[in-house]
Amino acid sequence: MIGVLEVLVGAPALFAVLTLVATRRDDALAVSVALLGAVATALWSLVAWSRSGDAGFGATEVDRSWVAALDLRWHLGWDGISGPLVVMTTVVLCCAVGSLLRQPPSGGGAGRLAALLLLIEAGVLGSFLALDLVLFFAFFEVALVPMWFVIDRWGDATGRHGVELRRKAATRFLVFTVTGSSLMLVGFVLVHAQAGTFDIVALTSSYRPDGPVGLAAAVLVALGLAVKAPLWPLHIWLPDAHATAPTVGSVVLAAVLLKLGTYGFVRFWLPLTDPGQGVLVPVVAGCAVVGIVYAALACLAATDLKRLVAYSSVGHMGFVVLAVCTFTTTGVQAAVFASVAHGLITGLLFFLAGTVKQRYGTGDLRRLRGLYGRLPHLAGVVAFAAMASLGLPGLAGFWGEMLTVRAALSPAPDLPRSTFVVLAVVAALGVILTSAYVLALLRTLLQGPAGAAAPVPTDLDEPGPDAVASEWAVWSPLIALTVLLGVAPGLLLTPVGRAAVALVGQG
Amino acid sequence: MGPLVQAVDWLAVATPLTLALGAALVLLADAFAGTVRSGARRRPAPCITLLTVVVAAGWALPVWRDPRATFCVDLERGPWVCSFEADRLTVAVWAVVLFGTAVVVLLGMTPGAADRTPSGEWGFLLLSSAAGATTLAASRDLVTLVVALEVVSLPAIALVGLRRGDPRAAEAAIKLFLVSVVSTAVTLLGVSLLYGATGAVFLDGIAAAVATGTAADDVVVTGAALTVVGLAFKVAAVPFHMWVSDTYVGAPVAVAAYLSVVSKSAGLVGLMLVLGRGLPGLVDVWAPVLAVVAALTMTVGNLLALRQRHAVRLLAWSSVAQAGYILVPFGAAGATGSSVSEAFGASLAYLAVYAVLNLGAFAVVALVDTRHDRQLLVDYRGLAAQEPGAGWPLAFALVGLAGVPPGIAGLLAKVVVIDAASGVPWLAVVMALNVAVGLAYYARWLREVVRPASSADASTYDVPLGLGAAIGMTLTAGVWFSVVPGWLLDPLVVVLGG
Repeated sequence: MIGVLEVLVGAPALFAVLTLVATRRDDALAVSVALLGAVATALWSLVAWSRSGDAGFGATEVDRSWVAALDLRWHLGWDGISGPLVVMTTVVLCCAVGSLLRQPPSGGGAGRLAALLLLIEAGVLGSFLALDLVLFFAFFEVALVPMWFVIDRWGDATGRHGVELRRKAATRFLVFTVTGSSLMLVGFVLVHAQAGTFDIVALTSSYRPDGPVGLAAAVLVALGLAVKAPLWPLHIWLPDAHATAPTVGSVVLAAVLLKLGTYGFVRFWLPLTDPGQGVLVPVVAGCAVVGIVYAALACLAATDLKRLVAYSSVGHMGFVVLAVCTFTTTGVQAAVFASVAHGLITGLLFFLAGTVKQRYGTGDLRRLRGLYGRLPHLAGVVAFAAMASLGLPGLAGFWGEMLTVRAALSPAPDLPRSTFVVLAVVAALGVILTSAYVLALLRTLLQGPAGAAAPVPTDLDEPGPDAVASEWAVWSPLIALTVLLGVAPGLLLTPVGRAAVALVGQG
Repeated sequence: MGPLVQAVDWLAVATPLTLALGAALVLLADAFAGTVRSGARRRPAPCITLLTVVVAAGWALPVWRDPRATFCVDLERGPWVCSFEADRLTVAVWAVVLFGTAVVVLLGMTPGAADRTPSGEWGFLLLSSAAGATTLAASRDLVTLVVALEVVSLPAIALVGLRRGDPRAAEAAIKLFLVSVVSTAVTLLGVSLLYGATGAVFLDGIAAAVATGTAADDVVVTGAALTVVGLAFKVAAVPFHMWVSDTYVGAPVAVAAYLSVVSKSAGLVGLMLVLGRGLPGLVDVWAPVLAVVAALTMTVGNLLALRQRHAVRLLAWSSVAQAGYILVPFGAAGATGSSVSEAFGASLAYLAVYAVLNLGAFAVVALVDTRHDRQLLVDYRGLAAQEPGAGWPLAFALVGLAGVPPGIAGLLAKVVVIDAASGVPWLAVVMALNVAVGLAYYARWLREVVRPASSADASTYDVPLGLGAAIGMTLTAGVWFSVVPGWLLDPLVVVLGG
């Protein structure tokens, strides 16, 4: 018997195979097949949502033995924490695959690229739904090799050492992520040795971390997730990977793959960690806040559009991790909300960065000027996305950061309150720095009189056409959801809040 | 002492015996067929070799359901002890050895290789060595163990140098011969010390002597250390690993596959038997040493593999690293929450998965060898596009060896080993870091395989029947164990560990 959730995980994988088969005929046909698969998956995720109900893991939970020798269970479930991320993932993937239809990647092979994106989707959806630690680990790794291919094969290879840099970025992504996930696996087996189970639900309800082994497990799991999220100072793989990856690769990497890290923090790092034990939680929270400030400063100095968006991701993920570290319901709500919002907004930003780069042939912020004058529609959307990213009230980016700061002001009773108040203040300072770089970006990129700051080379005088219909089609779902979540945050906060009670109790 | 004439349980010894008889038969058949008609000369030998392996595997099936032992004696102060035990551990190793031998036989049927190697001798040596490996897995006394180990090694040395008129092969054979002789001498010294200290050659007898404290501890430890050093040469554990790369590269690809899987398994099983069965009482002494050896072996193997541009050298060093992973459960044995029997289960589970995947990689290497005998990684460019039937199986084997999906078998094997090491967290962390290093070089090879082919060289390969069968066998096994991992892991981890 195949359950609703198994179909949800299996559908992208199946369509990936179909896409590969279709590639033999024609790339355009293959991308259409892939788009069909992505849309079908998105619709099915709504079916799964409606069938799952509101309370706990609902009617769609699947739980059966997988490998008895290792205590592994095939345990999938949908609740208020995984649900929003699943829906966000399917929407972003629709946009990413859809964008390949009209803008095939340079170097060809759009069909294969689409198939790899669907494989990544299958792995990510499996990770979000997995309720067994090793099953999560297995799905987590599914997305890895396809993403490596996406960067290694379709990445940006302009410049003299372009191909080597691209390979280096891809390999660095791979090695960092695998190091993190392997350490996380060691953390899992330490938990298993203590609790006798890999099952996340059982661990959430009955596991109490104990002694140095419990602490070591929490540290190892945090390390693994910190690489993925990424948390300062383990973010160093990210800027290169983003700057090099093709547009859809960056979109999927930022909007979807980073969420595996933050989701892991919420889903099982919370139950595996005792907030009162040692200084682990304050240290993680401290790294998150350093990340917020560091990312904002790096953005102020960034000279490449994609690199800027990549660093801004580090800052946003810092907010998410800080929220998790408060061990409160508000914190969990903030973390999930900010994850979803970041997926939508940063996804949109990377699409826009890709479009700008395609129109002008460069993403160099020292050379790009005056978008309002030349490409007013594109510039308008860039302004919208940048404002959403800085956390303008009324758009999705606002609630996550606001709730994070609020949660940090009143963390769980076991945590040192004064430390968290300082962290909250510094994080709020980070918000101001964020505004600074976003406004600076808007001023130079969008407004600046053409050729005022630096002599604009002639090749930038004739950009391509303004935003076309196919691009609007790709952006509009992300724009609509950003506005929707901005004006009606309760849509997301209510189910997340209900599910969060199981993780941190009534707090 | 028991009666001088013993009843032999023929079913228990049927598998090694079949291999030994088959070896003799191949040699004879080849001699006669060769003189009659030189045109049909190549046919009988591989077929008989393969048939022998299949029949030997057939004898192993009833033994798995009903374990048995033979060549037993009644020691005065204890229960019956046996020299030859065909229990489930033994049969599991037999399965690995026989699968590996069958694949190697198929690899040896490539025209290029077969032209330059006498096929009768090839089959004879291979089966002799396999007979030794199967005997070793069943041996429960030190004398049988050492003799069996020599029966594995000596034909393998001859196999390495069998290719006519190839100075590299001769050099590789000499190297392997010297290493082998030295390690045997060291092992023998260790064995004699163990016998002197405990008064027993049977592993159970040694275990009993250690447990009752009648043995001189220092001598036992010295003897054990020397035995382990000798066996460490065979499995190429660091710091006794230097011979691996040159030997693998000098040998024909099929023989390199044999060395890396069957011969290495034999050494590992010998090590496990001596320590796990003969000296479980000294687990506190040998486990920490083995943990360090395992950590060094995987780290050095991976770091050396990282620099390679040559496919066989890369596989050679990666197989050193993989041997390190296999030793991890023994390094963690005796720590809180793990027992020696669990270590057997975890190590064998990893060994079985490694054997299947590594043979899969070697099968494709043998195919590419028919065209590019330089064996550089760039020679694999575009293989998946040119010859999907070889490129994708190689890609699968590589991701499996690296331990990432879709090679679920490899991933779960690593989970098994890391889980077994949960009592020694530092070892688990070292292994985790090594997995990442390993992925870096497997990924480099993978990149070449799946790259678009350069148009100049975009013709398909002419795949010989034997190679096609070998690739198919290993791919099927690898995919099957990835789809239903319980089939492999449940019996090995639960039955052997419990």
